[in-house]
Amino acid sequence: MSKIEEVKANVETGKTKLVPGLVQEALDEGCSAMDILAAMVDGMGVVGDKFSCGAIFVPEMLIAAKAMSKGVEVLKPHLAEGASSSLGTCIIGTVQGDLHDIGKNLVAMMVESAGFDIVDLGVDVSAEKFITAVKENKAVKLVACSGLLSTTMPAMKQTVAALKTCGLTGFKVMVGGAPVTQEFATEIGADAYAPDAGSAAVTAKALVTAA
Amino acid sequence: MLTKRQNLMETIRGGNPDRFVNQYEYLDIILEAPLRTRPQRGETITNEWGITLSWPEDQMGPFPIHDDAHRVIKDITRWKEVIKCPSVEFSDAQWAPAIAHANSVDREDKFVTVFFASGTFEMTHFLMGMEDALMGLYEEPELMHDLIDYLVDYELRYAEQIIKRLKPDALFHHDDWGSQIASFMSPDMFKEFFLEPYKKTYKFWKDNGVELIVHHSDSYAANLVPHMIEMGIDIWQGVMTTNNTPELIKKYGGQISFMGEIDSGPLDHPDWDAKTIAQHVEKACTTCGKHYFIPCLTQGLHFSSFPGVYDAATEAINKMSKKLF
Repeated sequence: MSKIEEVKANVETGKTKLVPGLVQEALDEGCSAMDILAAMVDGMGVVGDKFSCGAIFVPEMLIAAKAMSKGVEVLKPHLAEGASSSLGTCIIGTVQGDLHDIGKNLVAMMVESAGFDIVDLGVDVSAEKFITAVKENKAVKLVACSGLLSTTMPAMKQTVAALKTCGLTGFKVMVGGAPVTQEFATEIGADAYAPDAGSAAVTAKALVTAA
Repeated sequence: MLTKRQNLMETIRGGNPDRFVNQYEYLDIILEAPLRTRPQRGETITNEWGITLSWPEDQMGPFPIHDDAHRVIKDITRWKEVIKCPSVEFSDAQWAPAIAHANSVDREDKFVTVFFASGTFEMTHFLMGMEDALMGLYEEPELMHDLIDYLVDYELRYAEQIIKRLKPDALFHHDDWGSQIASFMSPDMFKEFFLEPYKKTYKFWKDNGVELIVHHSDSYAANLVPHMIEMGIDIWQGVMTTNNTPELIKKYGGQISFMGEIDSGPLDHPDWDAKTIAQHVEKACTTCGKHYFIPCLTQGLHFSSFPGVYDAATEAINKMSKKLF
Protein backbone atom coordinates (compact mmCIF):
# COMPACT_ATOMS: atom_id res chain seq x y z
CA MET A 1 0.00 0.00 0.00
CA SER A 2 1.40 3.39 -0.93
CA LYS A 3 1.64 6.09 1.69
CA ILE A 4 -1.21 8.01 0.07
CA GLU A 5 -3.40 4.90 0.13
CA GLU A 6 -2.45 4.48 3.78
CA VAL A 7 -3.59 8.05 4.50
CA LYS A 8 -6.91 7.38 2.75
CA ALA A 9 -7.46 4.09 4.59
CA ASN A 10 -6.75 5.67 7.97
CA VAL A 11 -9.10 8.58 7.30
CA GLU A 12 -11.81 6.06 6.40
CA THR A 13 -11.34 4.23 9.68
CA GLY A 14 -11.08 7.41 11.75
CA LYS A 15 -7.52 6.98 13.02
CA THR A 16 -7.24 10.54 14.32
CA LYS A 17 -3.90 9.93 16.04
CA LEU A 18 -2.26 8.24 13.05
CA VAL A 19 -3.41 10.42 10.16
CA PRO A 20 -1.32 13.54 10.94
CA GLY A 21 1.88 11.48 11.07
CA LEU A 22 0.99 9.60 7.90
CA VAL A 23 0.27 12.86 6.08
CA GLN A 24 3.68 14.18 7.13
CA GLU A 25 5.32 10.96 5.95
CA ALA A 26 3.55 11.27 2.61
CA LEU A 27 4.81 14.84 2.25
CA ASP A 28 8.32 13.74 3.22
CA GLU A 29 8.17 11.08 0.51
CA GLY A 30 7.45 13.78 -2.05
CA CYS A 31 3.73 13.36 -2.49
CA SER A 32 2.03 16.62 -3.39
CA ALA A 33 -0.24 18.24 -0.86
CA MET A 34 -3.04 18.34 -3.42
CA ASP A 35 -2.75 14.60 -4.09
CA ILE A 36 -2.83 13.85 -0.36
CA LEU A 37 -5.85 16.10 0.05
CA ALA A 38 -7.60 14.39 -2.86
CA ALA A 39 -6.97 11.01 -1.22
CA MET A 40 -8.51 12.20 2.03
CA VAL A 41 -11.49 13.59 0.16
CA ASP A 42 -11.88 10.22 -1.56
CA GLY A 43 -11.68 8.54 1.84
CA MET A 44 -14.52 10.67 3.12
CA GLY A 45 -16.43 9.83 -0.02
CA VAL A 46 -16.17 6.16 0.94
CA VAL A 47 -17.31 7.07 4.46
CA GLY A 48 -20.31 8.90 3.04
CA ASP A 49 -21.28 5.95 0.84
CA LYS A 50 -21.01 3.55 3.76
CA PHE A 51 -23.16 5.84 5.91
CA SER A 52 -25.78 6.12 3.19
CA CYS A 53 -26.11 2.35 2.92
CA GLY A 54 -26.15 1.82 6.70
CA ALA A 55 -22.79 0.08 6.95
CA ILE A 56 -21.51 2.70 9.39
CA PHE A 57 -23.18 5.13 11.76
CA VAL A 58 -22.81 8.67 13.10
CA PRO A 59 -19.84 8.01 15.46
CA GLU A 60 -17.80 6.45 12.64
CA MET A 61 -18.60 9.37 10.35
CA LEU A 62 -17.66 11.91 13.01
CA ILE A 63 -14.39 10.25 13.86
CA ALA A 64 -13.43 9.93 10.18
CA ALA A 65 -14.15 13.62 9.65
CA LYS A 66 -11.99 14.43 12.65
CA ALA A 67 -9.18 12.31 11.24
CA MET A 68 -9.42 14.22 7.95
CA SER A 69 -9.42 17.58 9.67
CA LYS A 70 -6.28 16.58 11.62
CA GLY A 71 -4.67 15.65 8.32
CA VAL A 72 -5.70 18.92 6.70
CA GLU A 73 -4.05 20.85 9.53
CA VAL A 74 -0.73 19.26 8.56
CA LEU A 75 -1.34 19.96 4.87
CA LYS A 76 -2.37 23.59 5.12
CA PRO A 77 1.10 25.18 5.12
CA HIS A 78 1.94 23.09 2.06
CA LEU A 79 -1.08 23.97 -0.02
CA ALA A 80 0.05 26.51 -2.61
CA GLU A 81 -0.88 30.02 -1.73
CA GLY A 82 -3.56 31.30 -4.07
CA ALA A 83 -4.24 27.88 -5.48
CA SER A 84 -7.62 27.00 -4.19
CA SER A 85 -8.76 23.44 -3.90
CA SER A 86 -12.17 24.66 -2.86
CA LEU A 87 -15.29 23.71 -4.82
CA GLY A 88 -16.85 26.95 -3.61
CA THR A 89 -18.78 28.13 -0.59
CA CYS A 90 -21.78 26.29 0.79
CA ILE A 91 -24.19 28.21 3.00
CA ILE A 92 -26.02 25.82 5.30
CA GLY A 93 -28.69 26.18 7.95
CA THR A 94 -31.77 24.67 9.54
CA VAL A 95 -34.83 26.59 8.38
CA GLN A 96 -36.89 28.94 10.49
CA GLY A 97 -38.99 27.29 13.17
CA ASP A 98 -36.67 24.33 13.67
CA LEU A 99 -33.88 23.97 16.23
CA HIS A 100 -32.63 20.52 15.19
CA ASP A 101 -28.99 20.64 14.20
CA ILE A 102 -27.32 17.22 14.21
CA GLY A 103 -28.43 16.36 10.69
CA LYS A 104 -27.39 19.78 9.44
CA ASN A 105 -24.05 19.45 11.24
CA LEU A 106 -23.38 16.06 9.64
CA VAL A 107 -24.18 17.43 6.19
CA ALA A 108 -21.91 20.44 6.79
CA MET A 109 -19.11 18.13 7.85
CA MET A 110 -19.47 15.85 4.83
CA VAL A 111 -19.87 18.69 2.32
CA GLU A 112 -16.79 20.36 3.79
CA SER A 113 -14.89 17.09 3.53
CA ALA A 114 -15.90 16.95 -0.13
CA GLY A 115 -14.07 20.22 -0.73
CA PHE A 116 -16.44 23.08 0.00
CA ASP A 117 -15.92 26.02 2.33
CA ILE A 118 -18.80 26.01 4.80
CA VAL A 119 -20.68 28.96 6.22
CA ASP A 120 -22.96 27.51 8.88
CA LEU A 121 -25.82 29.80 9.80
CA GLY A 122 -27.01 27.56 12.62
CA VAL A 123 -30.65 26.83 13.35
CA ASP A 124 -33.96 28.66 13.07
CA VAL A 125 -32.64 30.60 10.07
CA SER A 126 -34.96 32.99 8.26
CA ALA A 127 -35.10 33.24 4.49
CA GLU A 128 -33.66 36.74 4.78
CA LYS A 129 -30.66 35.46 6.69
CA PHE A 130 -29.94 32.86 3.99
CA ILE A 131 -30.10 35.60 1.33
CA THR A 132 -27.87 37.93 3.33
CA ALA A 133 -25.33 35.15 3.67
CA VAL A 134 -25.30 34.61 -0.10
CA LYS A 135 -24.70 38.34 -0.61
CA GLU A 136 -21.97 38.62 1.99
CA ASN A 137 -19.88 35.55 1.13
CA LYS A 138 -17.64 34.96 -1.83
CA ALA A 139 -17.97 32.16 -4.37
CA VAL A 140 -21.26 30.85 -3.04
CA LYS A 141 -22.10 27.80 -5.15
CA LEU A 142 -24.58 26.05 -2.93
CA VAL A 143 -27.21 26.83 -0.32
CA ALA A 144 -28.30 23.83 1.76
CA CYS A 145 -31.52 24.01 3.79
CA SER A 146 -32.28 21.44 6.46
CA GLY A 147 -35.48 20.71 8.37
CA LEU A 148 -36.56 17.88 10.64
CA LEU A 149 -40.08 18.94 11.50
CA SER A 150 -42.96 18.56 9.07
CA THR A 151 -44.34 21.80 10.55
CA THR A 152 -41.38 23.71 9.15
CA MET A 153 -41.77 22.50 5.59
CA PRO A 154 -43.70 25.69 4.68
CA ALA A 155 -40.68 27.66 5.91
CA MET A 156 -38.44 25.55 3.69
CA LYS A 157 -40.74 26.23 0.72
CA GLN A 158 -40.70 29.94 1.48
CA THR A 159 -36.89 29.96 1.85
CA VAL A 160 -36.32 28.22 -1.46
CA ALA A 161 -38.75 30.58 -3.20
CA ALA A 162 -37.03 33.59 -1.67
CA LEU A 163 -33.59 32.36 -2.75
CA LYS A 164 -34.83 31.74 -6.29
CA THR A 165 -36.40 35.18 -6.65
CA CYS A 166 -33.92 37.37 -4.76
CA GLY A 167 -32.01 38.33 -7.87
CA LEU A 168 -28.76 36.66 -6.83
CA THR A 169 -27.34 33.96 -9.08
CA GLY A 170 -24.48 31.50 -9.39
CA PHE A 171 -25.62 29.01 -6.76
CA LYS A 172 -27.84 25.97 -6.44
CA VAL A 173 -30.24 25.10 -3.65
CA MET A 174 -30.27 21.69 -1.99
CA VAL A 175 -32.77 20.58 0.65
CA GLY A 176 -32.99 17.68 3.05
CA GLY A 177 -34.24 16.42 6.38
CA ALA A 178 -36.54 13.77 7.72
CA PRO A 179 -39.91 14.97 6.32
CA VAL A 180 -38.40 16.10 2.99
CA THR A 181 -38.78 13.97 -0.12
CA GLN A 182 -37.66 14.27 -3.72
CA GLU A 183 -41.25 15.08 -4.63
CA PHE A 184 -41.38 17.92 -2.15
CA ALA A 185 -38.00 19.24 -3.24
CA THR A 186 -39.17 19.29 -6.86
CA GLU A 187 -42.48 20.90 -5.91
CA ILE A 188 -40.79 23.80 -4.10
CA GLY A 189 -38.25 24.42 -6.83
CA ALA A 190 -35.09 23.17 -5.12
CA ASP A 191 -32.28 22.09 -7.43
CA ALA A 192 -31.56 18.94 -5.46
CA TYR A 193 -32.59 16.73 -2.56
CA ALA A 194 -30.39 14.52 -0.41
CA PRO A 195 -31.79 11.91 1.97
CA ASP A 196 -28.71 11.80 4.24
CA ALA A 197 -25.33 13.37 4.91
CA GLY A 198 -23.38 10.93 2.78
CA SER A 199 -25.44 11.49 -0.34
CA ALA A 200 -25.56 15.24 0.37
CA ALA A 201 -21.82 15.47 -0.26
CA VAL A 202 -22.10 13.47 -3.49
CA THR A 203 -25.02 15.60 -4.65
CA ALA A 204 -23.27 18.84 -3.73
CA LYS A 205 -20.26 17.95 -5.85
CA ALA A 206 -22.44 16.86 -8.75
CA LEU A 207 -24.43 20.11 -8.64
CA VAL A 208 -21.33 22.26 -8.73
CA THR A 209 -19.49 20.35 -11.42
CA ALA A 210 -22.57 20.24 -13.62
CA ALA A 211 -23.10 23.98 -13.30
CA MET B 1 -65.37 -6.29 28.18
CA LEU B 2 -61.80 -6.58 29.39
CA THR B 3 -60.37 -3.74 31.43
CA LYS B 4 -57.70 -1.63 29.73
CA ARG B 5 -55.02 -3.39 31.75
CA GLN B 6 -56.37 -6.85 31.01
CA ASN B 7 -56.71 -6.04 27.32
CA LEU B 8 -53.12 -4.83 27.22
CA MET B 9 -51.87 -8.03 28.82
CA GLU B 10 -53.86 -10.18 26.38
CA THR B 11 -52.39 -8.17 23.51
CA ILE B 12 -48.76 -8.45 24.58
CA ARG B 13 -49.04 -12.10 25.61
CA GLY B 14 -50.65 -13.16 22.34
CA GLY B 15 -53.89 -14.08 24.10
CA ASN B 16 -57.42 -12.89 23.38
CA PRO B 17 -57.72 -9.13 23.34
CA ASP B 18 -61.22 -7.89 22.66
CA ARG B 19 -60.17 -4.66 20.97
CA PHE B 20 -57.05 -2.75 19.97
CA VAL B 21 -55.24 -1.22 22.91
CA ASN B 22 -55.87 2.46 22.21
CA GLN B 23 -52.60 4.38 22.43
CA TYR B 24 -51.68 5.18 26.04
CA GLU B 25 -55.07 4.30 27.57
CA TYR B 26 -53.61 1.55 29.75
CA LEU B 27 -51.02 3.80 31.38
CA ASP B 28 -51.98 6.39 34.00
CA ILE B 29 -48.80 8.46 33.93
CA ILE B 30 -48.08 10.36 37.11
CA LEU B 31 -46.62 13.54 35.65
CA GLU B 32 -46.89 15.33 38.99
CA ALA B 33 -43.91 13.36 40.33
CA PRO B 34 -41.00 15.69 41.10
CA LEU B 35 -37.94 15.13 38.91
CA ARG B 36 -36.29 18.11 37.22
CA THR B 37 -37.04 21.66 36.23
CA ARG B 38 -38.30 22.01 32.68
CA PRO B 39 -38.86 25.26 30.78
CA GLN B 40 -42.32 26.44 29.88
CA ARG B 41 -42.97 27.76 26.37
CA GLY B 42 -41.05 31.00 25.94
CA GLU B 43 -38.59 30.24 28.75
CA THR B 44 -34.92 29.40 28.98
CA ILE B 45 -33.81 27.68 32.18
CA THR B 46 -30.80 25.90 33.58
CA ASN B 47 -31.83 22.69 35.27
CA GLU B 48 -30.41 20.84 38.23
CA TRP B 49 -27.74 19.15 36.08
CA GLY B 50 -26.59 22.53 34.75
CA ILE B 51 -28.12 21.85 31.34
CA THR B 52 -29.54 24.99 29.73
CA LEU B 53 -32.83 24.32 27.96
CA SER B 54 -34.61 26.81 25.77
CA TRP B 55 -38.21 26.67 24.54
CA PRO B 56 -38.78 29.50 22.07
CA GLU B 57 -42.40 30.61 21.63
CA ASP B 58 -42.71 29.31 18.09
CA GLN B 59 -41.15 25.89 18.73
CA MET B 60 -42.84 22.62 19.64
CA GLY B 61 -40.63 21.79 22.59
CA PRO B 62 -37.44 22.71 24.49
CA PHE B 63 -33.92 22.12 23.21
CA PRO B 64 -30.62 21.97 25.09
CA ILE B 65 -28.17 24.72 24.23
CA HIS B 66 -24.70 23.40 23.44
CA ASP B 67 -22.57 26.38 22.54
CA ASP B 68 -19.29 26.73 24.46
CA ALA B 69 -20.87 29.02 27.01
CA HIS B 70 -23.58 26.52 27.95
CA ARG B 71 -22.35 22.99 27.30
CA VAL B 72 -21.90 21.29 30.68
CA ILE B 73 -19.14 18.84 29.74
CA LYS B 74 -16.70 20.46 27.32
CA ASP B 75 -13.90 17.98 28.06
CA ILE B 76 -14.87 14.42 28.95
CA THR B 77 -11.52 13.92 30.71
CA ARG B 78 -12.69 16.44 33.30
CA TRP B 79 -16.33 15.36 33.64
CA LYS B 80 -16.03 14.60 37.34
CA GLU B 81 -14.95 18.17 38.00
CA VAL B 82 -18.02 19.69 36.38
CA ILE B 83 -20.86 17.28 37.09
CA LYS B 84 -22.81 17.50 40.29
CA CYS B 85 -25.63 15.02 40.51
CA PRO B 86 -28.97 16.56 41.56
CA SER B 87 -30.56 15.43 44.80
CA VAL B 88 -33.24 12.75 44.57
CA GLU B 89 -34.72 13.82 47.90
CA PHE B 90 -37.98 15.72 47.66
CA SER B 91 -40.23 16.87 50.44
CA ASP B 92 -43.57 15.35 51.37
CA ALA B 93 -45.22 18.45 49.97
CA GLN B 94 -43.45 17.96 46.63
CA TRP B 95 -44.59 14.37 46.46
CA ALA B 96 -48.16 15.01 47.61
CA PRO B 97 -49.81 15.72 44.21
CA ALA B 98 -48.20 12.63 42.67
CA ILE B 99 -49.23 10.41 45.58
CA ALA B 100 -52.80 11.72 45.40
CA HIS B 101 -52.92 10.96 41.67
CA ALA B 102 -51.47 7.48 42.10
CA ASN B 103 -53.92 6.72 44.90
CA SER B 104 -56.83 7.72 42.70
CA VAL B 105 -56.00 5.19 39.98
CA ASP B 106 -58.00 1.98 39.67
CA ARG B 107 -55.12 -0.46 39.31
CA GLU B 108 -57.49 -3.13 37.94
CA ASP B 109 -58.07 -0.82 34.99
CA LYS B 110 -54.73 0.89 34.42
CA PHE B 111 -51.05 0.75 35.33
CA VAL B 112 -49.85 3.46 37.71
CA THR B 113 -46.95 4.68 35.64
CA VAL B 114 -43.77 6.57 36.38
CA PHE B 115 -42.34 8.74 33.60
CA PHE B 116 -38.54 8.97 33.56
CA ALA B 117 -36.68 11.28 31.18
CA SER B 118 -34.08 11.79 29.95
CA GLY B 119 -32.67 8.30 29.68
CA THR B 120 -29.00 7.40 29.89
CA PHE B 121 -27.94 7.92 26.28
CA GLU B 122 -29.91 11.16 26.02
CA MET B 123 -28.27 12.46 29.17
CA THR B 124 -24.82 11.96 27.68
CA HIS B 125 -25.62 14.18 24.72
CA PHE B 126 -27.67 16.66 26.78
CA LEU B 127 -24.55 17.13 28.91
CA MET B 128 -21.95 17.01 26.13
CA GLY B 129 -23.63 17.85 22.84
CA MET B 130 -24.40 15.07 20.38
CA GLU B 131 -21.12 15.17 18.46
CA ASP B 132 -18.90 15.04 21.56
CA ALA B 133 -21.06 12.35 23.17
CA LEU B 134 -20.80 10.09 20.14
CA MET B 135 -17.12 10.74 19.49
CA GLY B 136 -16.41 10.18 23.17
CA LEU B 137 -17.48 6.56 22.73
CA TYR B 138 -14.49 6.13 20.41
CA GLU B 139 -11.99 8.52 21.92
CA GLU B 140 -12.50 8.04 25.66
CA PRO B 141 -14.48 4.81 26.13
CA GLU B 142 -13.47 4.25 29.76
CA LEU B 143 -14.54 7.73 30.77
CA MET B 144 -17.81 7.36 28.88
CA HIS B 145 -18.45 4.08 30.73
CA ASP B 146 -17.79 5.93 34.00
CA LEU B 147 -20.19 8.73 33.07
CA ILE B 148 -22.86 6.23 32.03
CA ASP B 149 -22.47 4.34 35.32
CA TYR B 150 -22.84 7.63 37.19
CA LEU B 151 -26.05 8.43 35.33
CA VAL B 152 -27.44 4.95 36.03
CA ASP B 153 -26.63 5.33 39.69
CA TYR B 154 -28.61 8.58 39.76
CA GLU B 155 -31.58 6.93 38.11
CA LEU B 156 -31.57 4.01 40.53
CA ARG B 157 -31.45 6.32 43.54
CA TYR B 158 -34.37 8.28 42.07
CA ALA B 159 -36.18 5.02 41.33
CA GLU B 160 -35.83 3.98 44.96
CA GLN B 161 -37.59 7.16 46.07
CA ILE B 162 -40.44 7.07 43.59
CA ILE B 163 -41.06 3.36 44.13
CA LYS B 164 -41.31 3.96 47.87
CA ARG B 165 -43.78 6.81 47.37
CA LEU B 166 -45.94 5.66 44.45
CA LYS B 167 -45.50 1.90 44.12
CA PRO B 168 -45.73 2.08 40.34
CA ASP B 169 -46.85 -0.81 38.16
CA ALA B 170 -45.23 0.49 34.99
CA LEU B 171 -42.36 2.65 33.81
CA PHE B 172 -42.46 4.90 30.74
CA HIS B 173 -38.82 5.62 29.99
CA HIS B 174 -37.69 8.20 27.43
CA ASP B 175 -34.47 7.77 25.45
CA ASP B 176 -34.31 8.34 21.69
CA TRP B 177 -31.88 5.90 20.13
CA GLY B 178 -32.06 6.98 16.53
CA SER B 179 -33.21 9.27 13.78
CA GLN B 180 -36.17 8.38 11.63
CA ILE B 181 -34.04 6.27 9.30
CA ALA B 182 -31.14 4.91 11.34
CA SER B 183 -29.98 4.19 14.86
CA PHE B 184 -27.48 6.73 16.18
CA MET B 185 -24.84 4.07 16.69
CA SER B 186 -24.21 0.52 15.56
CA PRO B 187 -25.81 -2.34 17.51
CA ASP B 188 -22.31 -3.44 18.57
CA MET B 189 -21.46 -0.01 19.97
CA PHE B 190 -24.87 0.17 21.66
CA LYS B 191 -24.20 -3.24 23.22
CA GLU B 192 -20.76 -2.19 24.41
CA PHE B 193 -21.90 0.96 26.17
CA PHE B 194 -25.61 0.84 26.93
CA LEU B 195 -26.87 -2.75 27.12
CA GLU B 196 -25.51 -3.70 30.54
CA PRO B 197 -26.36 -0.33 32.13
CA TYR B 198 -29.90 -0.58 30.83
CA LYS B 199 -30.20 -4.21 31.95
CA LYS B 200 -29.18 -3.11 35.44
CA THR B 201 -31.61 -0.19 35.36
CA TYR B 202 -34.63 -2.10 34.11
CA LYS B 203 -33.93 -5.06 36.40
CA PHE B 204 -33.97 -2.69 39.36
CA TRP B 205 -37.34 -1.27 38.40
CA LYS B 206 -38.77 -4.76 37.84
CA ASP B 207 -37.27 -6.20 41.02
CA ASN B 208 -39.09 -3.42 42.88
CA GLY B 209 -42.62 -3.90 41.70
CA VAL B 210 -42.73 -2.53 38.17
CA GLU B 211 -44.50 -5.06 35.98
CA LEU B 212 -44.18 -3.32 32.64
CA ILE B 213 -41.29 -1.44 31.02
CA VAL B 214 -42.40 0.78 28.14
CA HIS B 215 -39.43 2.38 26.40
CA HIS B 216 -39.92 5.44 24.21
CA SER B 217 -37.79 5.99 21.13
CA ASP B 218 -39.64 7.62 18.26
CA SER B 219 -37.14 6.57 15.69
CA TYR B 220 -35.77 3.80 13.61
CA ALA B 221 -34.32 1.22 15.99
CA ALA B 222 -35.20 -2.13 14.41
CA ASN B 223 -31.54 -3.14 14.62
CA LEU B 224 -31.59 -2.66 18.41
CA VAL B 225 -34.64 -4.86 19.10
CA PRO B 226 -32.58 -7.89 20.23
CA HIS B 227 -30.87 -5.62 22.78
CA MET B 228 -34.23 -4.17 23.83
CA ILE B 229 -35.45 -7.69 24.53
CA GLU B 230 -32.31 -8.58 26.46
CA MET B 231 -32.54 -5.48 28.66
CA GLY B 232 -36.12 -6.26 29.62
CA ILE B 233 -38.24 -3.85 27.58
CA ASP B 234 -41.79 -5.14 27.29
CA ILE B 235 -43.09 -2.51 24.87
CA TRP B 236 -41.17 -0.28 22.48
CA GLN B 237 -43.23 2.88 22.10
CA GLY B 238 -42.53 5.24 19.20
CA VAL B 239 -41.84 2.57 16.61
CA MET B 240 -42.04 4.44 13.32
CA THR B 241 -43.15 3.07 9.98
CA THR B 242 -39.51 3.13 8.82
CA ASN B 243 -38.90 0.05 10.98
CA ASN B 244 -41.10 -2.33 8.94
CA THR B 245 -43.12 -3.01 12.05
CA PRO B 246 -45.15 -5.94 10.62
CA GLU B 247 -41.87 -7.80 10.08
CA LEU B 248 -40.69 -6.96 13.59
CA ILE B 249 -43.94 -8.29 15.01
CA LYS B 250 -43.56 -11.51 13.03
CA LYS B 251 -39.98 -11.96 14.15
CA TYR B 252 -40.09 -10.79 17.76
CA GLY B 253 -43.73 -10.88 18.82
CA GLY B 254 -44.01 -12.72 22.09
CA GLN B 255 -40.64 -11.39 23.27
CA ILE B 256 -41.50 -7.70 22.92
CA SER B 257 -44.46 -5.66 21.69
CA PHE B 258 -44.56 -2.61 19.48
CA MET B 259 -46.50 0.60 20.13
CA GLY B 260 -46.63 3.17 17.36
CA GLU B 261 -46.78 2.83 13.59
CA ILE B 262 -48.81 6.06 13.34
CA ASP B 263 -46.02 8.53 12.58
CA SER B 264 -46.67 11.86 14.30
CA GLY B 265 -44.65 13.91 11.80
CA PRO B 266 -47.04 13.76 8.83
CA LEU B 267 -50.16 14.01 11.01
CA ASP B 268 -49.50 16.29 13.98
CA HIS B 269 -49.41 19.79 12.48
CA PRO B 270 -51.65 22.86 12.43
CA ASP B 271 -53.52 21.79 9.27
CA TRP B 272 -54.29 18.24 10.44
CA ASP B 273 -57.38 16.44 9.26
CA ALA B 274 -59.23 13.49 10.68
CA LYS B 275 -59.54 11.69 7.34
CA THR B 276 -55.78 11.45 6.83
CA ILE B 277 -55.31 10.33 10.42
CA ALA B 278 -57.94 7.64 9.91
CA GLN B 279 -56.14 6.42 6.78
CA HIS B 280 -52.86 6.07 8.67
CA VAL B 281 -54.59 4.33 11.56
CA GLU B 282 -56.32 1.89 9.23
CA LYS B 283 -53.07 1.00 7.53
CA ALA B 284 -51.33 0.51 10.87
CA CYS B 285 -54.06 -1.70 12.29
CA THR B 286 -54.59 -3.83 9.20
CA THR B 287 -50.89 -4.45 8.57
CA CYS B 288 -49.77 -5.01 12.14
CA GLY B 289 -52.61 -7.10 13.49
CA LYS B 290 -54.06 -7.75 16.91
CA HIS B 291 -51.14 -9.21 18.83
CA TYR B 292 -47.92 -7.65 20.09
CA PHE B 293 -49.04 -4.34 18.61
CA ILE B 294 -50.56 -1.18 20.07
CA PRO B 295 -51.59 1.45 17.53
CA CYS B 296 -50.32 4.83 18.72
CA LEU B 297 -49.00 8.16 17.56
CA THR B 298 -45.24 7.89 17.77
CA GLN B 299 -44.77 11.04 19.87
CA GLY B 300 -43.98 10.43 23.52
CA LEU B 301 -46.75 10.88 26.10
CA HIS B 302 -50.51 10.84 25.80
CA PHE B 303 -51.10 14.02 23.88
CA SER B 304 -50.28 15.63 20.57
CA SER B 305 -48.42 18.82 19.79
CA PHE B 306 -51.51 20.26 18.07
CA PRO B 307 -54.89 20.01 19.82
CA GLY B 308 -57.26 17.41 18.48
CA VAL B 309 -54.79 15.13 16.73
CA TYR B 310 -54.45 12.66 19.62
CA ASP B 311 -58.22 12.46 20.06
CA ALA B 312 -58.76 11.99 16.32
CA ALA B 313 -56.32 9.05 16.39
CA THR B 314 -58.13 7.61 19.41
CA GLU B 315 -61.45 7.81 17.60
CA ALA B 316 -60.01 6.20 14.45
CA ILE B 317 -58.55 3.33 16.51
CA ASN B 318 -61.92 2.76 18.17
CA LYS B 319 -63.49 2.46 14.72
CA MET B 320 -60.84 -0.05 13.66
CA SER B 321 -61.57 -2.10 16.79
CA LYS B 322 -65.26 -2.25 15.84
CA LYS B 323 -64.31 -3.21 12.29
CA LEU B 324 -61.68 -5.85 13.00
CA PHE B 325 -62.67 -7.47 16.31
